[in-house]
Amino acid sequence: MALTGVQIFKLLPKTNCKKCGFPTCLAFAMKLAQRQAEISACPDVSEEAKATLGDASAPPVRGIMLGTGDKSVKMGEENVMFRHEKKFVNPCAIALNLSDTLSDDDLAARAVEVAASEIDRVGQKLRVDAVSVEFASGDAGKYADAVKLVADKAPEAAIILNCTDPQAVEAAVKVVAARKPMIYGADEGNLDAMVALAKEHKLILGVSADGIEAVMDLTRKAKEAGVDDIVIDTGAKTAKDIIEHNTQIRRSAIKKGVKELGYPVINNCMRDDTMVEANVAAVAIAKYASIILLNHIERWKNLALFTLRQNIYTDPQVPMQVPQKVYEISDPAADAPLLITTNFSLTYFIVAGEVENSKVPTRLAVMDCEGLSVLTAWAAGKFTANKIAQFINETEDFNAVSHKELVIPGQVAILSGALEDKLPGWKITVGPREANGLPAFLKNKTA
Amino acid sequence: MLIIGEKLSIIAKRVREAMMNRDKNPIQEIAESQWKAGAGMIDANIGPAEDNGEGLMEWMITTIQEKVPAPVCLDTTNISALEAGLKVHNNEWGAPLLNSTSNDPERFPVLELAAKYNCQVIGLTVGKGGLPADAEERAGIAAEIMARGMEYGVPMENIFLDPLVLQIATTQDQAIKVIETIKMFQDLNDPPMKTVVGLSNISNGCPKHIRPILNSYFLSFLIYAGLSAAIADPLEKEVMTAMKTTDIIMNKTLYAHSYLEM
Amino acid sequence: MAYVIPKENFSGKVLEMTLGAGDKAAVVGGGSALPFHSFEGEGSTRPLIALEIQDVPPSDWPDEVKKQYSSVSDDPAGWAKYCQNDLGAKAVALRLVGTHPDRENRSVEDAVGTVKAVLDAVDVPLIILGSNHVEKDSQVLVAAAEAASGKNCVIGKAQEANYKTIVAAALANNHKLIAMSELDINLAKQLNILIGQMGFSSDRVLTDPMCSALGYGLEYTYSVMERIRLAALAQNDTTMQPPIVGDVGMYVWKIKEVMAPETDLPEWGAIEERGIAWESITATSLMVAGVNLLIMRHPKAVEGVNKTLDELT
Repeated sequence: MALTGVQIFKLLPKTNCKKCGFPTCLAFAMKLAQRQAEISACPDVSEEAKATLGDASAPPVRGIMLGTGDKSVKMGEENVMFRHEKKFVNPCAIALNLSDTLSDDDLAARAVEVAASEIDRVGQKLRVDAVSVEFASGDAGKYADAVKLVADKAPEAAIILNCTDPQAVEAAVKVVAARKPMIYGADEGNLDAMVALAKEHKLILGVSADGIEAVMDLTRKAKEAGVDDIVIDTGAKTAKDIIEHNTQIRRSAIKKGVKELGYPVINNCMRDDTMVEANVAAVAIAKYASIILLNHIERWKNLALFTLRQNIYTDPQVPMQVPQKVYEISDPAADAPLLITTNFSLTYFIVAGEVENSKVPTRLAVMDCEGLSVLTAWAAGKFTANKIAQFINETEDFNAVSHKELVIPGQVAILSGALEDKLPGWKITVGPREANGLPAFLKNKTA
Repeated sequence: MLIIGEKLSIIAKRVREAMMNRDKNPIQEIAESQWKAGAGMIDANIGPAEDNGEGLMEWMITTIQEKVPAPVCLDTTNISALEAGLKVHNNEWGAPLLNSTSNDPERFPVLELAAKYNCQVIGLTVGKGGLPADAEERAGIAAEIMARGMEYGVPMENIFLDPLVLQIATTQDQAIKVIETIKMFQDLNDPPMKTVVGLSNISNGCPKHIRPILNSYFLSFLIYAGLSAAIADPLEKEVMTAMKTTDIIMNKTLYAHSYLEM
Repeated sequence: MAYVIPKENFSGKVLEMTLGAGDKAAVVGGGSALPFHSFEGEGSTRPLIALEIQDVPPSDWPDEVKKQYSSVSDDPAGWAKYCQNDLGAKAVALRLVGTHPDRENRSVEDAVGTVKAVLDAVDVPLIILGSNHVEKDSQVLVAAAEAASGKNCVIGKAQEANYKTIVAAALANNHKLIAMSELDINLAKQLNILIGQMGFSSDRVLTDPMCSALGYGLEYTYSVMERIRLAALAQNDTTMQPPIVGDVGMYVWKIKEVMAPETDLPEWGAIEERGIAWESITATSLMVAGVNLLIMRHPKAVEGVNKTLDELT
């Protein structure tokens, strides 16, 4: 049972020594309660308190790092079933699966696809995070060579050893030990050998079985044998299986406290039809997968799946923001109307949508107000006459504009006088209070 | 329960015009009517007040206190306007309240002012960008504000923690979380931390006839949770009725048939 | 230790309704479990996908989707027939975009002519959509509803500003109705209440909480749809129990990601597959969130969604 911040506070030394990096024991306790700090940061806490806190502060889904270095990705640590309740925490890793029976040239070429998959989207760098090498040759030496080749060609990707043969895994681990490959995996037949390898090299162990009950049995045994970092595979074959299994696992872990299921989940989304594969991957991303395996990573598919992952894992509490700039809608001429609004994305989408509806070519200046809506931004001092004037004066995008008339949202009509004072030569016009008044306003203006 | 009268706000057209024209009459009339209706403090919200905020805040405080023997809640994002206001505030009827500091570095100087002038201050439990999702996050931010208060030398009893009330029409799940937060805030210190809410925001955007109903029911729950103060409209009869009745039910005021008339 | 599946049994349901008339009529909605959660209750019927056609040639559609219909798109009846007979569409959505005053500003009479021609051409259910011009829609859709009387069509979209006339026309001519609000679950509920107060039964309403494309606010639509479904099932909120509409095509086929040529943005990959994937992933995600009726444009995107649905149901 999770403890509240105040309950945790009572177990701390209350010295406010700051050694944990927080200003007071209370502030540290609050971070512990939100699982944003670890009790080990406190050097003076009693062993008894540590034991009490250790159990209480273990997240319902274990957090595990996949891969090494800057491009490694965190998995797990989820707390809710639906993204509107609270942010989904750690986005799903995307992995390309390659068979070790491919020719060296093919393996190299496809690993390079992973290495070169990075795309920048609204300020985030997104990429295929991992490459999985599947043991299909039956030859442990060949497998290790394939893993080595792929690891070299995709030097920053996480490595997944998709192999149920302990000898082949051992051979492969030896050649890429520094990359901390994930062993995937363990099953009913090889559990002991795989557990030994995972423990020896401190690796993540992927555990596969047919269905949830069977896999629980294996995660319990692996945990008892001393493996902490486990990833679950329930053998979900269809998109329907993915939704059902993943939902049951997430619910059991966070609502029922089933420890054996408190681990990230890996889903096989590989399909011959690449468009179906994209859709099945979308289902898995939306429904709680932590790693998805794909056959094909065409650039168009990566762009779409990265975007979906970004959308699903957006914090619903942080207003989504669009970049500050002057947006040109319907190819405006130099004398087209110029509107201004804040960078809250919903504000932008609705205003831009209404401008599009109007069919009147228009420039829409979007100002960075930390993602607040117009009235809130004004009240918070982010969308004030001074700040708007500064933005107008400093933005070079206005070079294309042949006039000096700025339309401000009707909700901040109060700013018009002060803005005219601060922007000499500009005419400030008050627009409609709500975006749905824009089509009529714009048409009237250009009529 | 302290009611801080909310009606002197730049958002209201009549108040805004009076502020622009430095017309004392409407300001004093509104201040006085709130005080008579039961407000123990008057909020003076002058908005971001970028231009001559100092003069406006000074004028507001002296104008209000000319007629109303109560402290003022100084409500603006303009730090120097806050300081100018503190210098002219008459503390005879109680210390003024600064509205507000938060976890946004831009708002830290408000705490310094609270220490320097030994006045009260509202700590709004929000950070830079993003709204708190639940009671735990709000309490976490509160702990940081409290720590900063200690650092600057603001006594804990001078801080009113504000969980940030959100609109029921857009973020319905937050109302119950605000009630939980009020309980949790009090546990953060011994003696319990003081708490305050901007009550009417719960019904912002709702139809006019619904607003007093939402405000008054919400206030009842908050008082039960231990709320110390509310920025609200004391002229809204339902709100004052809810406050008085909740106090009766909680056995905080002595019952008499005419308790509502008191 | 035996594993107990954590099931949630809901008291609420999703309303089930038949669209269209005759052999090709289709059922949407139904069920009392979250989407594709058949382990804990009866799911909704398989989402119905309508292909979109227009009353005027789709001059504003990007080439990748426009060329799919180049041989038929100057004739709405022929276009509808092509969707039904050649592409196997289970429903057709006729958008009367040409009636918009800023487009061809087609008259109400012209629109009625188009509706009749399309109705004569196909047997699958017909969804009749206006041009999203509040005033014009309330004339066009009323006349269209009369012209289609008895065909059990879906008329849309009724919005807060014009619902009264459109609801009255759908009521008088026995049609289903799409009620649209803008990405706000509370406004969606409010509009459904207002429509109910006109005597229009909720088992004839479909809710459109407004669609968004992948990367352009999809998460808002996704969460509003999830919340509508949860309100319908967990809170047994009858106003939130109508089937949900996802008007996917029109939101997808206007964004940069479906239009920018590969020569400009090589890191985005092939434009044809990119556009198809964009529409089909948007649609798939929204089905997971609760959509019952999809309106789409690209035949290959529909094909991809259908194959995925084969795995999902």
